[in-house]
Amino acid sequence: MLLVALAVGFGLSWYALSDGRLFGAIEIGPWSAWRDVGVPAPDPYTRAFIARAGALELGASEGIQFVATTDSDNRRLDRACRYRIDGSTPAARFWTLVPVAPDDGRPITRADGPLDFQSSRLSRAGDGSVELYVSKALSPQNWLEITGDGAFDLVLTLYDTSSLSGVAADVAALPSIIRETCA
Amino acid sequence: MIRTLLWLLAGAVLGGIIHIAVILSLPALSATSAWDQVAAVGTGPGPTVLPAATPNAPNPLRLDPELTYAVCRIDLRLGPASVGGTLPQAFWSVAVYSRAGTVVYSTTNRDGVGTALDLGIFNPAQTRLLAEQKLDVAEGLLIVEAREDDLFVVVRLAPPHPEMRARYEKALGNLKCGTIAT
Repeated sequence: MLLVALAVGFGLSWYALSDGRLFGAIEIGPWSAWRDVGVPAPDPYTRAFIARAGALELGASEGIQFVATTDSDNRRLDRACRYRIDGSTPAARFWTLVPVAPDDGRPITRADGPLDFQSSRLSRAGDGSVELYVSKALSPQNWLEITGDGAFDLVLTLYDTSSLSGVAADVAALPSIIRETCA
Repeated sequence: MIRTLLWLLAGAVLGGIIHIAVILSLPALSATSAWDQVAAVGTGPGPTVLPAATPNAPNPLRLDPELTYAVCRIDLRLGPASVGGTLPQAFWSVAVYSRAGTVVYSTTNRDGVGTALDLGIFNPAQTRLLAEQKLDVAEGLLIVEAREDDLFVVVRLAPPHPEMRARYEKALGNLKCGTIAT
């Protein structure tokens, strides 16, 4: 009985705070975000998540941050692979996309190159759409060169966005992450 | 059979209790809070410009490498606090955090047109003095009421291009974090 109790108690707590999709996190394709992370009185799960993460969370009126740990086919993001990030983003003043190490949050891009994508500094097609590539090997269009081995996370931060407030929240419009080739 | 099931059920119930206890106690027990890390970066009221996120160093606060950050630490026991100054015409936002890392208040300079930041932070007792007009504050001060005395304010500023980072960090460093005289 004790074994079951400990497993359920700590297992559920760990699950709630790392994945959290049942407990206050929203999920759109591979992206997830904690909805109430920037409000003055968050629910207990969000409060525990904030304490465990120890990060500077964005206030609700500043923007919202999504993290992807897998591609759109639910496979863990791997630095050995080339990823195409394709699609539209919700209306925001600007957004940034950073590939980071899962354990300590440092950008994993090459130190002397660009560290991230910033929405106002991308090459776009005639209709305004963008094609982003994250890989170790040279890629076309907008490309971020990553380094190292193992898994990584993608962090998409939308600044000054109202996409998740209000009733008719337009949350379906986040880009997909497509795995192309792996070394 | 039924006995085993009952034991399992009891285990699950106990597990639920452990789960609730863990979730509720985490904010008090966590050793890696944003407050501690901000305290480690700079002492004194500030403003302290946080070092940029680079591939060469861990990034526990999960800063966006695209942005510059300044932090003011605030103790409302010393009197109402103010954060003010002039910032470049780019996106900037300001957030007031409690010790637990929750956002008490946040706002942005809508549409990037505002360049003046003038924020006053008051605890409930000071807000009452303000309402009774026993405190003299400048007109146009953005008034924020906070229930706790230990707070920190983070100003985020987005340089349009990485080349402009040094100049924007200097502008953040020129902000004034202070106490409003009572």
